[in-house]
Amino acid sequence: MMKCTRLSRILMLSALVVGTALSASFAWSQAKAPLRFGVAMPLTGSQASYGLDFVEGTRWAVADINAKGGVDGHPLEMVVLDTVGDPQAGISAANKLIHVEKVPVILTAWSGVVKAIAPLANREKMLTLSVGASSPEVAKLGDYVYTVTPLADVDVKAIASYSFEKLGKKRGAVLYLNNESGVGGARTFRSAFEKAGGQIVAYEAYDANASDYSGAVLKIRAANPDVIHVQGLIVDMPQVIGQLRQMGMNQLITSYIGGYYPKMVQQLGPAIEPYMAPNVAPGPQDNPNIPGFIERWQKTKGRVSNALPYTQYMYDSGLLVAELFKWVLKNNLPVTGENMRKALLAIKKFDFPMTGSMEISEDHEVKKPVYLLVVKDGKFVPLATVK
Amino acid sequence: MGEASVVVQICWTALSTAIPMILFAVAFSLVLKVVKIWNFAQAGFMAVAFYAMYATYNLLQWPMWLAVLIGLALTLIASLTLEPFGLDVLRRRKSPHLTYFILTLVMSLFLAAFLSMLFGTEPVPLTPEIMSPVKIVGSIVMSHWDLRAIAVGVVLLLLLHQFIIRTRDGQYMLAVADNAELAELYGISAKRTRIVTFFAASIFITAGMWLAGTRGAINAHMPLQMLIFAVVATLLGGTGGIFTSALAAAILSLIQALSVLVIPSQWQGFVLYVFLFVTILFFPKGFNVRNLKLAAILGKSARVMRAGQG
Repeated sequence: MMKCTRLSRILMLSALVVGTALSASFAWSQAKAPLRFGVAMPLTGSQASYGLDFVEGTRWAVADINAKGGVDGHPLEMVVLDTVGDPQAGISAANKLIHVEKVPVILTAWSGVVKAIAPLANREKMLTLSVGASSPEVAKLGDYVYTVTPLADVDVKAIASYSFEKLGKKRGAVLYLNNESGVGGARTFRSAFEKAGGQIVAYEAYDANASDYSGAVLKIRAANPDVIHVQGLIVDMPQVIGQLRQMGMNQLITSYIGGYYPKMVQQLGPAIEPYMAPNVAPGPQDNPNIPGFIERWQKTKGRVSNALPYTQYMYDSGLLVAELFKWVLKNNLPVTGENMRKALLAIKKFDFPMTGSMEISEDHEVKKPVYLLVVKDGKFVPLATVK
Repeated sequence: MGEASVVVQICWTALSTAIPMILFAVAFSLVLKVVKIWNFAQAGFMAVAFYAMYATYNLLQWPMWLAVLIGLALTLIASLTLEPFGLDVLRRRKSPHLTYFILTLVMSLFLAAFLSMLFGTEPVPLTPEIMSPVKIVGSIVMSHWDLRAIAVGVVLLLLLHQFIIRTRDGQYMLAVADNAELAELYGISAKRTRIVTFFAASIFITAGMWLAGTRGAINAHMPLQMLIFAVVATLLGGTGGIFTSALAAAILSLIQALSVLVIPSQWQGFVLYVFLFVTILFFPKGFNVRNLKLAAILGKSARVMRAGQG
């Protein structure tokens, strides 16, 4: 009798355990699978100060979306890989995202990296959204590569034509970093400035590893321009502009959106003025969501982002990816790069909290107003908006 | 500004900007001469020097002179760990030269990765502002940084020269460089001499990084690129020539800077690598007066032969 009772207790306990396990497993399988997308940015290397902030912007978007229940109940999840800002490392990252992580869409940046990834993205039909790469060639990299930020065509053209038409600068000079980021933007400035009616009197390059730019600077000085456009990266631009000023060049210096770099203003002090840089994202005076976004940076990181305009786009890119997933799920399509691209072209027009409206055009570009800022008393202040 | 003053301006700025590179070349060739290794770990030591000064000055808010001393001390400690825990081990094992190269390179990469973890990867300058006031002398722009760099470079090179020719330790360095085993027989401690060599190299490294860091932003990976210039200068100056390496570094900087007057500026970066290529292929022992004379004799002989055949 006792043996029978003990056996039945064991059996009951076993049934209870198995039942619980099965219920948990059933409940777990009912939780919706996460929707994963890739983010390939420089997390190390000389561009990491921008890259890490880019990732943070998207991370906030993902957190905000998931806090509201995800995309139709599916949590959004980002897979972040390091490109070091280098094309070769970018290809490795893209390969891993496609073949190992199997994501249907990635966010990436840096012109050289985007160009390197493009053939792979097109072959494997992975939608690639470029956030911040400025080279005009990004718009011609194939069916699966789109930019969500204006290319150098937009911000550099705006600054070139504004310098000529509104500020009366007739003689322009260009000093550019001899790589993917510099060459494209330099050509765009030259062409836009000449088209507006100006004359390019000097067009000089410098090497990424140079520490002395005196030769190129003196050639520019000899040409006596009214405005000097510098197209470099954050690691070299402070020294280049510093040397321009030390050689007695007090002309207006302009740059592209990458030159909107508050730390450079701190490093160069009052010597940086007069300096103008464009911004293709609205500032606090243009968009009521921006003060809260800036405050979030202060609270989270104790500082404002190194690349505030880009992080605004990165935040909105997280929302864009969510919209694409939503469309694909709504249309009962498998989550593939091909269908994510279909979603992008079907939705076409988006309205985002940090950067305003965006329309995907046939030429793979986006058109946005350009906000021109100048440095005054150590800070960037708005000058004009060019539509 | 006339053409002559453009050339003078380029020469002045190129020379002053080259001073950190000259100091790195001297450090590199000093270790090569005495310790007999191609010390690619120097890039790691350069990063240690920079970040030690950066942390002391910016994070601890201590005075710059103290930051430089701490930078020097930590660079020396890093250098000295290489000797007993790395080089000595390889010497005892009679390891091939390639192993020394791998060891020193890996040490550089390790230090760069470690410092990146500690300080991040964003390039930072040593001082919050990198602009220095300028003077116009004649029509030549001279910044205070230029003058500081030239002064530091000249003083350190003179001191090193005097140290080598006038002090016992300096003479010991030459003896060990010539033949370490024979020097030991004469009672000279090769080990102590190597320590003194690393100490001297650390001074040059710290001074060079102080100058570089007060002129622009640096991160942990940039010293390896800077070191390539030092290696090229060492090759050009002849392996074993400390002051010829310094001269080579100066001439290379001048040529690179002046080249922009004759070639498009986009090609300036190639000049360094063209020199490296030519030096390795045609002047593996360095480019010196004897090579020039030899080249002239060979050229004359070839012309005579061709004339004879014609």
